[in-house]
Amino acid sequence: MSEPRQKPFVPDQPIVSRKFWIALWLTCAMSVLLELRVHRHKHFMESDSALASATNGFGFYVALGFLACSGSILLAKALGLLLKARENYYDDTP
Amino acid sequence: MTLLENIPPGLILIIGAIVLLLLPATARKTGAIALAALGFIAISQLKTGSQLSPAFLGFDLTLLRVDATSRAFGYIFTLSAFAAFIFSWHEKSRTENTAALVYVGSALGVVFAGDMITWYICWELMAISSTFLILARKTERSLKAAQRYILVHLAGGLILLTGILFTVHESGSIAFTAFPKGTTGSWFILLGVLVNAAALPFSSWLPDAYPESTVMGGVILSAYTTKTAVYTLIRGFPGWEILIAVGCVMAVYGIIYALLENDMRRILAYSIINQVGFMVCGVGIGTKLAIAGVVAHAFCHIIYKALLWMSAGAVLFRTGKSKCTELGGLYKTMPLTMILGTIGALAISGVPLTSGFISKTLIVAAAEHENYVWAWLVLEIASAGVFLHAGIKFPFFVFFNVDRGLRPKEAPMPMLIGMGLLAFLCVYLGCHPAPLYNILPNSDTIESTSFSAIYVNHFAHVVTMFQMLAFSALAFFVFLPWLKRTPTISIDFDWFYRKGAKWFFWLVDKSLNGLNQAADREVIKTFLPALTRFVLVAPATLTAMALKPVWRAMDPDEARLAKRRKKLLTKFTTGTFPIAYSAVCVLILLTLLILIGRAHG
Repeated sequence: MSEPRQKPFVPDQPIVSRKFWIALWLTCAMSVLLELRVHRHKHFMESDSALASATNGFGFYVALGFLACSGSILLAKALGLLLKARENYYDDTP
Repeated sequence: MTLLENIPPGLILIIGAIVLLLLPATARKTGAIALAALGFIAISQLKTGSQLSPAFLGFDLTLLRVDATSRAFGYIFTLSAFAAFIFSWHEKSRTENTAALVYVGSALGVVFAGDMITWYICWELMAISSTFLILARKTERSLKAAQRYILVHLAGGLILLTGILFTVHESGSIAFTAFPKGTTGSWFILLGVLVNAAALPFSSWLPDAYPESTVMGGVILSAYTTKTAVYTLIRGFPGWEILIAVGCVMAVYGIIYALLENDMRRILAYSIINQVGFMVCGVGIGTKLAIAGVVAHAFCHIIYKALLWMSAGAVLFRTGKSKCTELGGLYKTMPLTMILGTIGALAISGVPLTSGFISKTLIVAAAEHENYVWAWLVLEIASAGVFLHAGIKFPFFVFFNVDRGLRPKEAPMPMLIGMGLLAFLCVYLGCHPAPLYNILPNSDTIESTSFSAIYVNHFAHVVTMFQMLAFSALAFFVFLPWLKRTPTISIDFDWFYRKGAKWFFWLVDKSLNGLNQAADREVIKTFLPALTRFVLVAPATLTAMALKPVWRAMDPDEARLAKRRKKLLTKFTTGTFPIAYSAVCVLILLTLLILIGRAHG
């Protein structure tokens, strides 16, 4: 008795398609446009530091979201050079 | 229901766990679900105030201290246990069910304890019972991870005990209340509690142990140890500013390590540290609003984190895999698990209309009110980072990314029910937080409690959150090639006791044992034999030298002289003197003595 022949498996392309990119950019653009329409609550009114006043600037959260995430990814990437080890690194350790 | 008014809910679960041990599988599993529900009801029936004060070792214990804080933690502990026991209906192991119930029961014991003795006993019971949830995986790795886990917790427990003893000695009271600032006892207690909170540098036990636990173990473990630590910090250390820094570091550390990780359950483990960082920071801020925020965040966190562990558990259960490099494309055959897991991922990210949005906001607002600009900024950055690692990375690499040809069946029905219950709560509390806000301590400090107040009156806040999330997602996909997973692990603080300790052992082995061997070689094997030889030969040689002129006078033949000398040396080394020699020696000595005596006389 022979095994039923299976079609060789071909992995899909990653899910990130052109349509997905368009949707993502549109969402981002929409979030920026929305800020024009709302009146933002001001942070740190008593503080006079530059950082505190920057938090109230237009697009602060745009910059925060993008920079925080790209910064984290870059930091992780850099630390990865130092911290990544093969999976069985500890296996000979009791 | 007056019967339940003053029964410690933890005791119900622990006694129930022992009774369930005797029952067959189905009854045991049903019993566990029923016990969690009973615990929840019992908590709702408890009278506010301190009760049940049996005497122990000359101290009056307080087994039940009921107020808004302990009640809120009690509710969520039993609620999450209820969902977790439904989820793990597949689990037939007797050990796991019992260990889980004792673990939850002792966590409740900590939460309702009003004195440090009860607190400490329950704290240690948690450590022991939770170890069984890791052991239950029954693999070589889980066995070793469990060993490390219990050792770290026993060490933490000893630090805590030291602190408790100092504090009792200093204050004469065992009351478990806010600890005085700056005393030795308080610092030790804080250190012991921070071990359980997985604060740096005592953090690595969590991502080391939890991902090695069973499917059910991971769900249960994710909720209790760190959150009882947060509860203890609320009780003992509100407003200790050092906790703001500790919390901020935890929040960022969790993100970076979660980004480096390949194993989905380790991503979630690091994500716990990140989330607990928010809570620890909130305790450090310590205002009424901050404390309300911490309790709210712990409550919501337990729900969505359990949900995330459940979805990861369901994937592990069906595929036997947990590495991002081996998973992907599961949305095709596990769509419900994907949807429910994604709800958890959105909730942890604080997406509007989910529970994370209505709880994290309180802590961030408290930082803002107190003008902690830097802490506020770190928390906002960390919020974006949460979306990055837990909100997108986890579901993306597990359910989407590339199809690796895995075609597992959808998660079994009990798992879906457990996840569904928690997913419902994530969305329900996000849209309608009043029931949660009402049970919080200092609930009067929260201004916006209704849907319209949060989402309509503060629409600008919704917009900024939306912006932050949208651009975080953009950053994720822009840098996606850099986020490609590799089959690696990341070295964390556990290196110090897993590799470092081994090297230390090697170093000590080489240095001390080397010293030992050198001493053996130089002293025992070289110096002492030489000394012995010297002691044996020297007197013989000296005697021979002294006797030489006498022998020569008696018999000048050189050959016979040499023979006599040799004979004498042999007699010395073998200790076989004829009695005459001894008599001569004695005679010489006596003569010498007399002469010396005369000379002095």
